Amino acid sequence: MRVFAASLAEMWSSARKRNRLSPDEATAELLLARRHLGRHEPASQRTLELVLAAAAGPATERELAGETAAVTAFLAALPEPEPARRRGPRRLPVLAVALVLAALVALCGTGEAGALPAPLQRLAHQAIKAPAPSPAMRVPRPSADVTPGPGATGSQSAPGSSGPSQESRTGKPSANPTPTHTSDSQGNGNGQPTATDNGKGNGGTPGQGGNPSGHPTGNNGNGNGNGHGKN
Amino acid sequence: MLYGRFVLVGDFPEVLRRAAAGDASAFARLWRDTHPPLLRYLWVSAGDAAEDVAAEVWLEVARRIGSFRGGEHEFRGWLFTMARRKMIDRHRYEARRPVSPTGDGELLDHPAADDTVTAALEYISTETALALIATLPRDQAEIIVLRVVVGLDASAVAQIVGKSPGAVRVAAHRGLRTLRERVAGATVTSPGRGGVTL
Repeated sequence: MRVFAASLAEMWSSARKRNRLSPDEATAELLLARRHLGRHEPASQRTLELVLAAAAGPATERELAGETAAVTAFLAALPEPEPARRRGPRRLPVLAVALVLAALVALCGTGEAGALPAPLQRLAHQAIKAPAPSPAMRVPRPSADVTPGPGATGSQSAPGSSGPSQESRTGKPSANPTPTHTSDSQGNGNGQPTATDNGKGNGGTPGQGGNPSGHPTGNNGNGNGNGHGKN
Repeated sequence: MLYGRFVLVGDFPEVLRRAAAGDASAFARLWRDTHPPLLRYLWVSAGDAAEDVAAEVWLEVARRIGSFRGGEHEFRGWLFTMARRKMIDRHRYEARRPVSPTGDGELLDHPAADDTVTAALEYISTETALALIATLPRDQAEIIVLRVVVGLDASAVAQIVGKSPGAVRVAAHRGLRTLRERVAGATVTSPGRGGVTL
């Protein structure tokens, strides 16, 4: 028990010693904090105080000689926020115009290739003389109940008739008389289908193939097959 | 004006705001207040490269002063942290030790009695005092300058030099002890210009 108490006391006193500054350390803290030492301090401490005070003395002419150069460099190095703000609004229209132009070019190219959806292709056809939409782009309707007419092979006999659609080339009539075609699909009755006159061979019966209303009927292509494809 | 004390205090926020807005006179005020201690710190720790490093530091301050937030105390801590990083970078690139402004042989003469030393030191110049401090190991020297010349406390210095406040305290005490032993047996022979009478 006695040993334990002694060791406790020893620990306590050593802890106090650790926390307490020695005279030298206390003086050092005063010096570091730029406090004046008393006259009772040894001469060596007072000498040290003078050295530290000199180190922290007033600015010399040499130290302040570069003020003009420093201010000039400061003004030159200042960041300029204004131009950065201007760039934002200016860049946006340029980017938008570039995007619109790119979209237009792509649209025209696709239109020329005839690969646009039918309504857009039609628009392109009217605006920039792009190929008219192909009837093949229409939704196919069942036509199995329609018997091919005698002119079924008529369009096949027309070599080079690339303009006509598959429907007209095969002479297969569409059973759907719904007027889904446009006005350019008027039967001209001359048997010379152009690229825009899709598959309009010579109408088998007057008034059908040459439908002046522009509404092709299911008998379109039922002609005699003397239509001439036109490249 | 003696350094080691903050002089702008209440005016600092306004001076800082104006400097950040590009006011040359406000920047000049900051520069006049902070450049001498910066240069002294760099003389002790970077030797001949002090002025070059100081110029780099002020350029960096000019670029980043708009984003700085804090008081005068924090500003000094920020600035001296930058200075120390630039000094270390320079040391890495140049791979050489800093050169003291003057050598020990020029600074100190034969030992003399304490009273004589004190009498001679009454005319010690700032440069001579810094040269004396620069004879210490670099870490001790820079800690003493940061505490005495720049006026930072142990915690702020610890942040700058990357040590604990306790380690900073120990290094400062060791440095002062060594310094005291050196000046106790020496007399100063080169008062130089710009000295102060104490």
